[in-house]
Amino acid sequence: MDEKQPNLYNLIKNGIFSENPVFKLALSLCPAVAVTTTVKNGFLMGVAVLFVMTMVNITVSIFKDFINPKVRIPAYILIIALYVSMTDMVMAAYARSAYKEMGLYIQLIVVFAIIISRAELFASKNKVIPSAVDGIGMGLGFLFALVLVGAVRELIGKGSLLGYSIFGGDAVLIMVLPTGGFFAIGLLMGLFNWIEDKYFGGMSSPGGGHGH
Amino acid sequence: MNDMLKITVNLTVICALAGVILAFVWAETDPVRVAEEARERELALKELMPSADMITPIKDVVIADKENVVYEATAGGKTIGYVVSSAGKGYSSYIKLLVAVDPDYKVTGLAVLGHAETPGLGDRIQEDWFKGQFAGKGVDNLVVVKQETDTDIQAISGATISSRAVTRGVKDAVIKLREVREGAAPPAPAAAK
Repeated sequence: MDEKQPNLYNLIKNGIFSENPVFKLALSLCPAVAVTTTVKNGFLMGVAVLFVMTMVNITVSIFKDFINPKVRIPAYILIIALYVSMTDMVMAAYARSAYKEMGLYIQLIVVFAIIISRAELFASKNKVIPSAVDGIGMGLGFLFALVLVGAVRELIGKGSLLGYSIFGGDAVLIMVLPTGGFFAIGLLMGLFNWIEDKYFGGMSSPGGGHGH
Repeated sequence: MNDMLKITVNLTVICALAGVILAFVWAETDPVRVAEEARERELALKELMPSADMITPIKDVVIADKENVVYEATAGGKTIGYVVSSAGKGYSSYIKLLVAVDPDYKVTGLAVLGHAETPGLGDRIQEDWFKGQFAGKGVDNLVVVKQETDTDIQAISGATISSRAVTRGVKDAVIKLREVREGAAPPAPAAAK
């Protein structure tokens, strides 16, 4: 286990920075655009994804020898749907107020490319603990990206942050619409890459192995 | 052939396991959810008719293909208003509503009980400024317009379909209530008014 320690730290760092799901891997952009109209929405979606992704990674990792490789994709989808449905039902019964806020997002998670891609690329080839950490790292990276995109869109599109008005007057409605989501993600993606090039040049991950 | 059998068994076992887990979770959580929803409905009814000392269901009606209920609110034995549960087909879900209506068929309040509209756009139907627009309006003014308005219902920008669905649901509730109170549907609803 000793030699695994730096490895785990790298996994978290990878998920947030060098392989950030939204800014680097450009996965799950559809939900990222759809829900990030405000900081709060982005945050809630990020938390839900973080939880489901970690649980799916753990489960896939535990059962990786049992799942026949030929039917692994339907099996992964099933596992994802299982966790999403369970979360949905448990929250609907025992966490009503949180469910009212998050219920809309939870069911969307079933079809997130980022979750199935981590199950396929990582959890199916690694032990349980690294898989869990990978899920947490990638989940945090997704959360971070959604909050950032949400902040940009809420500030420009609604003139507020976290629901508090920052500047009044006419906000730029297009930023709240899907078009603005692509603007925000594109610009942040560029900024992200520029910062990495300029200050961490050469250290950036080549992105190999993520061709698909 | 052997391989085919293997993957079939494999996937069947996974599906069966998932099914058993889901059935168990559902059996545990569903009664709690149903009870919670009923309690929330009670609360919403009271909130819509704060001065009522009794709110009783008087008739089942069908609105937007869904089963709904007309409630009568009384205070000291006198009818002070009605609450109609209603629904409207929105962008991505049926929006469940409770509509409070006074005996003159003017809307006095609106509660959104449940929906699955787009977060950030359609889900703004729950915001007070939108719901507040309905108060005091009769059937003739329950119309969605896209610009600012004093007489009608202003649509939420980017969520016209959800706005229309709610307005439609409210309007249907008022029309149904009139039918329930005055018998058969009036052929030309109050054009002269």
